Amino acid sequence: MSGQLGAIIRAVVFILLALAACGVIFEFAGYSAFQMFHSIVDGAFLRRNALEHALRWALPLFITATGVVISFRAGYFNIGAQGQFYVGAICAAFVAEWLRGYPGGVVIPLCFAAGMTGGALWALWPGLLRLRSGADEVITTLMGNFLAGLLLVYVTAGPLKDPSGSGQQASSRPLEAAYRISTSNGVSPTIIGIAILVGLAMWWLVNRTAFGVLSGLGGRNPTMVQWQGASTWKIGLASFLISGALAGLAGTIELMGPNGRLAGGFLPAHGFTAVLIALVAGLSITGAAIAAFFFGGLASAALYLPVMAGLPSAAIDIVNASIALFITARSRLVDTLTKAWRRPWKTS
Amino acid sequence: MEDVVIAILRSGTPLVYVTLAGVIAQRAGVWHLGLEGLMITGACATIVGIVLTGSVVFALLVAVLICIAGSVLFWFVVEKLKANQIIAGLGLTGLGLGGTSLAIQSIFGSQAAISAPFGLPRLGAAFGAYGVLSVLVLVMPVVVFLCWVLLCRTRFGLRLAASGEHPFAARSVGVDPSAMRLAALVIGGALCALAGAELAAGSLQIFSQNMTAGRGFMGFAAVIFGAGHPLWATLAALFFAVVGALGIRAQLVFGDRVPHDLLLGLPYIATIFGVWLSARLRGGAKSATGGFGELRDS
Repeated sequence: MSGQLGAIIRAVVFILLALAACGVIFEFAGYSAFQMFHSIVDGAFLRRNALEHALRWALPLFITATGVVISFRAGYFNIGAQGQFYVGAICAAFVAEWLRGYPGGVVIPLCFAAGMTGGALWALWPGLLRLRSGADEVITTLMGNFLAGLLLVYVTAGPLKDPSGSGQQASSRPLEAAYRISTSNGVSPTIIGIAILVGLAMWWLVNRTAFGVLSGLGGRNPTMVQWQGASTWKIGLASFLISGALAGLAGTIELMGPNGRLAGGFLPAHGFTAVLIALVAGLSITGAAIAAFFFGGLASAALYLPVMAGLPSAAIDIVNASIALFITARSRLVDTLTKAWRRPWKTS
Repeated sequence: MEDVVIAILRSGTPLVYVTLAGVIAQRAGVWHLGLEGLMITGACATIVGIVLTGSVVFALLVAVLICIAGSVLFWFVVEKLKANQIIAGLGLTGLGLGGTSLAIQSIFGSQAAISAPFGLPRLGAAFGAYGVLSVLVLVMPVVVFLCWVLLCRTRFGLRLAASGEHPFAARSVGVDPSAMRLAALVIGGALCALAGAELAAGSLQIFSQNMTAGRGFMGFAAVIFGAGHPLWATLAALFFAVVGALGIRAQLVFGDRVPHDLLLGLPYIATIFGVWLSARLRGGAKSATGGFGELRDS
């Protein structure tokens, strides 16, 4: 427990360092750093209904982030959550389009199944390339993100195009109201229920099963897992598939909940933010729930900034990127400071 | 035929510069996923510099300096704060993408694309049809050659490789691996600035948000495909450019029968193929293995 406290303090220290770096960038770009941070905090956590807005972004982010936790724990840098999120949403949208007119009780579960399968398949090929050939999954999943982005543009401008749409950005036909699982404010009992279910299941998987122990060991020391007689192949593939399926699930939720339709390049920062949440949480599921809420607040502030404060929403991208830059850092100074909170007889 | 070669050189030259930056970093032991962010910073600084000052030389100088500053920041985080290279690199990329958006919003008041009245100097009529290419295209083989000499034929290059492959051995003969990495990242930063400048001001004279579209990551993949050797990596980068040019060509040939957006994906598919092939030929890439225990607390 005391080690965890040290870890939390370390994360907070480096997040503060990252925010200081952001402040410098804002000043250089000609904005008042104080005003910027004030507006961000206001937009994220203080305005009316701020918590509901933060929750709207936090729930899908949390689901994707738990998937990232699973694959990072197993030692695989699957940073393709964005692509898996897109492909999941695309598959769900196709099913919803084909089954237009059937009752929601049939279509909604099928959409979820399709979305999760799509996400898992988009994680399957980088997983196979990595496990069979050793092809670096960082590059393959990144390229998968770009490909999925192009696929989304193609689908929204081609097969699923809304013929009545005349906006600049092509989008798919809106889902039938019967298939929506929330209004456009994005918080509904269904979505909260799914998020809690996913959180519990993943917590159980990580902390209470052989898979959790072995994949955690495999991430640190694959040789040892092989000596234990476990198959790194099965564990690796399972972690790719689970992380893909969860990102696909989040994509389905975004489609059938708040968005109601696909648009080219929607939520472009989702996958990267989910990776950040997993890292800030120190790859723990409980931590991810807290971190998701923080980054959900930032995501809602990204919409609030240009409208209410007249500031560019790119500020949030910069905050996120700076946190990414610093979050894995370790420094002797911080370690020394946090040592005071550790028990002296537990030096590890 | 000529227009195909021109298209390949146009898209290939920025890729080669950014690949060389990746090769130098890789030799020094840094997996540089911040290339994308430095490249877009270079592109933005060049165009903004030309618009505001009217001087190409000044704009290039500013671009190089800003990219070097970004590289030093990356070095500090990775080397002094011992951050994970891949995550910190992605952070640097995010900072470049977000920072350039913020910069043009603050300078020009909107996030629309900016066009400059003129770009880099062109080769001119003496080169016939190839005269439309910028001077950086002509300089590119020279830079590749210089990189090869620097990395493979000098004492500095040997020390750089030692710092990457076996820092302990490097230290034992009085070489400071950390300082070597700083040198490698600074040179790489300058090359990323040139890559961005060629991308934005070489033919189009336009900067738009996210215009690098993954080219920095492709450069990184070319480093892996080319096994960290400057010449092989250059060939790998040119291979990606050839595939991209074929995609554009295919659009003209097939017209509407093959979706335009899917042909745009060809370079990404070529990149995946390249990483897969190099893993098959030389065993798996090792960027992600190791260092994972450090990410996790408790």
